[in-house]
Amino acid sequence: MIKWMIRFLLISLIAVGCYSCKSYQLKQAVPKIVTRPEFQNPYFSNPETDYVYKAHIEVYGHKAGGVFVAKRLNDSVHRVVFTTDFGNKILDFEISETDFKVHYVLEELDRKMLLHTLRDDFRLLLKVHHTITDAFENESFEILKASQGNGYLYFHLDKKNQQLVKLIAASKRKEKVVFEFESKNSTFAETISINHKNIQLQIELKQIIN
Amino acid sequence: MKTNLFLLLSVLLGLVGIAQEQKMTVAEITSFKTKVERETQGIKTLKTDFVQYKHMDFLSKDIETSGKMAFKSPNHLNWQYTKPYQYSIVFKNNKIYINDQGNKSTVDAKSKMFEKINKLIVGSVSGNMFDDKEFVISYFKTKEFYIAKLEPKTTTVKKYIKQVELFFPLGEATVSQVKLIESSGDFTRIVFKNKTINDKVDDSVFTN
Repeated sequence: MIKWMIRFLLISLIAVGCYSCKSYQLKQAVPKIVTRPEFQNPYFSNPETDYVYKAHIEVYGHKAGGVFVAKRLNDSVHRVVFTTDFGNKILDFEISETDFKVHYVLEELDRKMLLHTLRDDFRLLLKVHHTITDAFENESFEILKASQGNGYLYFHLDKKNQQLVKLIAASKRKEKVVFEFESKNSTFAETISINHKNIQLQIELKQIIN
Repeated sequence: MKTNLFLLLSVLLGLVGIAQEQKMTVAEITSFKTKVERETQGIKTLKTDFVQYKHMDFLSKDIETSGKMAFKSPNHLNWQYTKPYQYSIVFKNNKIYINDQGNKSTVDAKSKMFEKINKLIVGSVSGNMFDDKEFVISYFKTKEFYIAKLEPKTTTVKKYIKQVELFFPLGEATVSQVKLIESSGDFTRIVFKNKTINDKVDDSVFTN
């Protein structure tokens, strides 16, 4: 009986182990030849544009709202500000591939974990130039893969119009963050949703038109 | 040459701008304060439209939002954005009701902080916020306005705001413009229009 139990436990452990070490794979996508070595994310790339959005954030069931502002300052740096609806700043930082400089953070939000999560999210969202290492396709999307830190990015372009509609950030094994974009003209995303898969954090951004 | 002219012009205009704002005399301050305090004591209700300009130096233009505000003495307040999105916040009976595009929430407002926010908003619009315990206040006048500049004394408020500037059109006891300046120098400017005082304001205005 004990022998049988140990065997069973071992089998389940191996099974679980194998399942969790299975590397991340795109669903129903087949590899194709890389036709463009570089991809430019268009949605925060114009230094002339003030990118202003109404933001809704839900973190572990707590909801908060405000205004999100981003601006490309130069080739590599973006400025990002969150304010309340009244206009007072709650978070203000500059971000690039290698730097993260906080200009202001409300004392109540000055938590390392939160700041690092936002830093990582916005670094992915705002970075313009990406080097493509692999390409895939399925029925609806052309998918471009790029390396990012210890993980990978998968840019999903709509086959019909080549618009970026989804960006998946994954570790070697699983999806971590999914960004979804709705865009009418392919250079400006009117709505952006950011969904975390390993923590309960969702951010919804809707363009504010003055 | 053109640039030089432009520079000269900006400097001159700047100087004029500075020269226009004069410190008020002690006698002027006393009579101004008495007038504002007397008239604001008589405010039972106040309704106004507003336009809010959020200025951040790195942006090419200010973020503009607008809406309306209603106040009923002693502690009912509705601050409502209608453009470019719907958002309203109601202060009533020590509670704060928020309606963010249909997402509703309620916060207990018994804390000192919320009391201060309430006082700051109502005070900003009515103009009755010459509280020497809370602020260091200096007074200026231009051809158009009396300006009260308030610097918070307490560290809790200082963290959020460096200075509040209240603009009273000459001859009026209530504010037509408020400027809230952050420590970075970026600011929020709120301009009030179509103000009515002591008109009937229904209680239903304060449901959210």
